[in-house]
Amino acid sequence: MAKQAGNNKITTSSTAEYFSKNLQQVGFSSQTKAVLTTLKEAVDNALDACEEHGLLPEVHVLVEKAGAGSIKNSDQIRIRVEDNGPGIDPDDVPKVFGEYLASSKFGRGRCSRGQQGIGISAATTWAQLTSAVGARVITKTDKMRKALSCLVEVDIKNNRGVIKDRETIDWDRPTGTSVEFLVDGRVQLNGEAGLLNYLNGTALVNPHLKLSYKLPEIEMQTIDRVSDMVPGIPEATEPHPHTMKLGEFIAHSHLFGKVKAGVWLKKGFSRVHEGVINDLVKGGLKRSVLEKSVDALNEVEFKQLFVGLQNQKLMAPSTKSVLWIGEEALSKSIKRLGAVDFFSVVSRKPTICDFKPVQIEVAIARLEDRSIEAESAAQVLRFANRVPLQFDKSACAIVQAIQSVNWRSYGLVQPKDSLPQGPYIMAVSVVSPFIKFKNASKETVDASDELVAEIRLALIQAGQRLSKHIRKEVKANELEEKIRHIEQFGPILVNGLCRIVNASEARKKKAEEGLLKLLGRDAKATEAELEEAHALLEAQQRKGQPTDADVIDTEKLAEEVAEEAPEKAAKKASKKAGKKRKSQTAEASA
Amino acid sequence: MATPSTDQSIPKLSKELCSRLLADLERAKRPVLYATKCSLDNALYNHKLGYLTPGSKKVATELNVSSVKKMSRAIFMLEVLLRNIDTGAVNTKRELYYISKGYIKHDSTMKPLDFADQNESDEIIDFICEMLECYREEMNCYANDRGGQTYSQQLIVTETLPDGDKAVIDLSKLGTSPFQPKNRPQNLKLSARKKIDFCVIVESEGTANTLVANGFTRRHSCILMGAGGVPSNAVRGWCKLIQDQLRVPLYFFGDLDAYTLQNIYRTLKAGSAASLIRNSDYSAPDVKFLGVLPEDIKKYDLNDYPVKENDAQEVRALKKAADALKNDPFFQDKRNKGLAQILRWLLENKRRCEQQAYFTVDPKDVTMPEKIIVEKIKRGNYV
Repeated sequence: MAKQAGNNKITTSSTAEYFSKNLQQVGFSSQTKAVLTTLKEAVDNALDACEEHGLLPEVHVLVEKAGAGSIKNSDQIRIRVEDNGPGIDPDDVPKVFGEYLASSKFGRGRCSRGQQGIGISAATTWAQLTSAVGARVITKTDKMRKALSCLVEVDIKNNRGVIKDRETIDWDRPTGTSVEFLVDGRVQLNGEAGLLNYLNGTALVNPHLKLSYKLPEIEMQTIDRVSDMVPGIPEATEPHPHTMKLGEFIAHSHLFGKVKAGVWLKKGFSRVHEGVINDLVKGGLKRSVLEKSVDALNEVEFKQLFVGLQNQKLMAPSTKSVLWIGEEALSKSIKRLGAVDFFSVVSRKPTICDFKPVQIEVAIARLEDRSIEAESAAQVLRFANRVPLQFDKSACAIVQAIQSVNWRSYGLVQPKDSLPQGPYIMAVSVVSPFIKFKNASKETVDASDELVAEIRLALIQAGQRLSKHIRKEVKANELEEKIRHIEQFGPILVNGLCRIVNASEARKKKAEEGLLKLLGRDAKATEAELEEAHALLEAQQRKGQPTDADVIDTEKLAEEVAEEAPEKAAKKASKKAGKKRKSQTAEASA
Repeated sequence: MATPSTDQSIPKLSKELCSRLLADLERAKRPVLYATKCSLDNALYNHKLGYLTPGSKKVATELNVSSVKKMSRAIFMLEVLLRNIDTGAVNTKRELYYISKGYIKHDSTMKPLDFADQNESDEIIDFICEMLECYREEMNCYANDRGGQTYSQQLIVTETLPDGDKAVIDLSKLGTSPFQPKNRPQNLKLSARKKIDFCVIVESEGTANTLVANGFTRRHSCILMGAGGVPSNAVRGWCKLIQDQLRVPLYFFGDLDAYTLQNIYRTLKAGSAASLIRNSDYSAPDVKFLGVLPEDIKKYDLNDYPVKENDAQEVRALKKAADALKNDPFFQDKRNKGLAQILRWLLENKRRCEQQAYFTVDPKDVTMPEKIIVEKIKRGNYV
């Protein structure tokens, strides 16, 4: 074996060293992806910083070609993101941009975009590797009179941020941060993996964001905010013991140092209280283990605690920690995507999937733009904690849920087991303090049965709302078709009959009048149906969404789910629908 | 039957129908067209008649914005057909499709009636026939003459031509060529040189040809006919003619499988559900099922084989057989118990045996299949 091969010395690599060699794992696997990931990481950080401090974010984005890149067939791209956030303390600047896994958010159980503190450091590394220059940062907090301008580089050997060219400058804003990267890459504007898709998606799920951007070949664009409410970030939630593995459980203890194991369990986990501790003892755990300091526990004792907790029946975790956009804000925001004929939005109540709190929100809009081919698949916008996901869509829980819904029953065209077709945008947002991604670059949400079933329910609700609009349109088409039929076939039928029976002109005229009367009655009946559909929609719009008319019959919904979804998912969905029904009834009566 | 008197009745019936429609329209009353429902659930079977007849169910088409197109197309096509009856012209369905396209081409006001494909115009022709309760042949609309190649040393056919002349065809003078019956065999008169003992209808025209080439018709005083798969109107009407005019026993010899029994033999003997209104003239209730019978497999050690589960047609036929046992009045009638038993045997055993399997009995003797057929007739070994 290599390890025993004598002269081969075993070395340890720093985290930075690992990631600098494996940047493809965190979103730098191609030149177009590198540009998008860099932009994404910078914007995510800007938005998280503003929200944490209750500021309405105003973000300026610049992406431009700065020359030829060092890699073959690449351009050198300048990516600059400026925000009006709280600024970064000068001491923290090297940590934020130059150190891996240095995060204020790691494992905190909050619905923030960033989680581990990898992304932005990876962007600095990519810039450093391809352009030999790190991240150019300007930042100013409210405690600083002048802004700090510097260059941050990653000391790859030691996983440390290094500051260069440090100077203080005048900056015409009270607080904020500007970060600029020069990276090798290629700009892709359109398509699912395009920059525009990312920026529009970000605007959609952040109604409070004012975004201006200048991209190559595109004039400066500004998307104004449609909401003045900064989302109140819910308190972090402690992890639920049933969501952990033994290793994570032990690692979690290191955050607590010298506290008694019993106290650690109560403070460090959600849904563990005195009653649970007593039940652990009743279950055979020695009281002395609980009295012992956490840092003194050995592996056997950790295992005893862990197994004891796994065997306990614990309450499901709280859903208070999820952050949602809300139907009203989503309704306003979706109009920023372009001219839409109609749309429907659904915010499901927070629920528990795979023992983790999660909330699903769905917005479906039909675009007025008819240049989109009718047979092309609907555009899917996926979001995880309000960050657009743009790659590896087929394995994603969101896409699987969309494909599992029978959109034909809502009036959309859908080939079997595929995405629906037409000029539609389907935006699905999954928000959870513990989103299970398939990879470190956070491109795909893992498709567990429970999560897919929950997304499916949200989509079905949105589909039902949407079908009202489509039905109205179908009725209008029917009316048009019927009127056309009357005009076209009426005279042909009467003429044919008259020719066969050699009827007089007088008979012919009388028959034509009679036919018009008859078919006119049919047209009137259709007109009445159309008016009824109009009235229903107007009533819905007057009340604002969601309306009474939109309250979904969850039982029916669950049945629908049961018919189509795999058996396992169906059982879970129906169970959940039952619970939801209770809460909805309570809400209705309130 | 399309006698001259009937020919005259079709225009009369059509005019009456159109007049009623026009009168309804004049009164702003919704006209309703009634057509005989041609499906198994409206099929009756009376063993005394021996063929499937229509029940009382009608399909009503009321005029409204949705049906105005179909009605307009039906009246348009009726006009074309009536013109044909008037002038004595005949056409196939395909030709009628193009004729209607021609009319529409020359009159732009008719454009909304245009047929996208022949299926659409065929449907309208069938609708007219069901409405007037007539055959499409009575509307001078014929399919091509297919199947029914007939060989005999005794049979003489006299055909009355449209101008009243008569043509006499002596089948013994045709050499190895067969006589091809017409789609309207009612204009034919049959006679025999000497007494004809039987008539065998072979499912495969190829096998019929082989039997004749090997001397079947020379050795026996008989008529030998190749059905050519599902019998066409020509074959069905021709068999009925042989049955009625010559009064000779008829035997059907074909494959032992669900498709042959239901789609070929049943249609020949009792007509089909789709042609309820013309079964009286297009079925030969006396025809017996000579084989292949299930017991023949053992008796003659015939090569049979299992129904292929991936063969859609065979699987569909079996499914249909199960359905026929439950819903088909022909197979439910106790006089056809023997045939129903064969269907049940096929369903249970899921095996089939082809008519050509008789050739395995003695490969050196080319006349062996003929010998078996004749032996079976003599011994009454048929259903």
